[in-house]
Amino acid sequence: MVRKRQPSKQMYRLLEALSEARGEWRHGYDLMKVTGLLSGTLYPLLMRMTEQGLVEAEWREPAQPGRPARHAYRLTSAGAALARDLAGSAPGQPFKGALA
Amino acid sequence: MKALFARALLRLAAACLGERKRDWAMAMEAELETAMAEGAPVQFAFGCLLAAGRGLFAAEEGQFVLTSYAVAIGVLLPMAALQIGCALFGLPYLYPGRHGLGGAMIDGGLQESLLRGVYQAAIPSLALLQLLIGLGHLRIAWVVLERDWAAALRWGSLSLAASATLVMFMSVLFIDGRQALLQGAVLAIELAIIASVARWHAHFSPGPAPNPAR
Repeated sequence: MVRKRQPSKQMYRLLEALSEARGEWRHGYDLMKVTGLLSGTLYPLLMRMTEQGLVEAEWREPAQPGRPARHAYRLTSAGAALARDLAGSAPGQPFKGALA
Repeated sequence: MKALFARALLRLAAACLGERKRDWAMAMEAELETAMAEGAPVQFAFGCLLAAGRGLFAAEEGQFVLTSYAVAIGVLLPMAALQIGCALFGLPYLYPGRHGLGGAMIDGGLQESLLRGVYQAAIPSLALLQLLIGLGHLRIAWVVLERDWAAALRWGSLSLAASATLVMFMSVLFIDGRQALLQGAVLAIELAIIASVARWHAHFSPGPAPNPAR
């Protein structure tokens, strides 16, 4: 899917967080802590990026028995490509070497 | 207490997200334990509710939910109140003398000299019919919010039939039936609105419920 609008500052932060450990599944609350985004911002962003094919979501088995399964997220190849394209161009939020 | 409040907020968020985004509602709920461990469950849940609320206005399904509630609360419930009010208190018609059902049944009332037995014998049936139309409206409002369109149309048709019967019997008894006719017309419009809302809902009827491994 082709994005025509410039990504928001929050999206930059989320892309950066997800691309730091590429291929690794991240949970919603962890992403809130890493990005500093509140749940009211993070979840609509995740929903939108999932619909755009930039992020994939999956239910993951809990690390500890008896705990509920959690939704986890990671970049798709399209998301990773976008993150690479945007690397270093985010206003005031330069991506780190993880994208290289 | 905080956890209970947070769960209640997340339930509201899930209701706002609707069927299509049930998976996301469950995803938010699954994070609540972590949020509780971090000591901010209410802040987390409130953010989720805000996100869901914003989505309600933006997404088609959200607009549909708002429309359903607007039809149920703005049209069906006031009509139910009006019909039940007419049956019990005679507002704004059905009984002479503005004394409601009780007044119409009193011996020696204003109407008795004119209509006497026939009218007074018919009044309980007419009142019951009117009451049933009002209760029918309440049931329609309920099934509309449950998205049970077949039941909504069935109850709507029954209410419309009852309304037509009421008008006919009022005519037979020489009672001014204009108000009843007007209410019957409003009921027909309501049915048309419900049919169109049902068609709208068919555009995005939800798929099977998500089934996370728990």
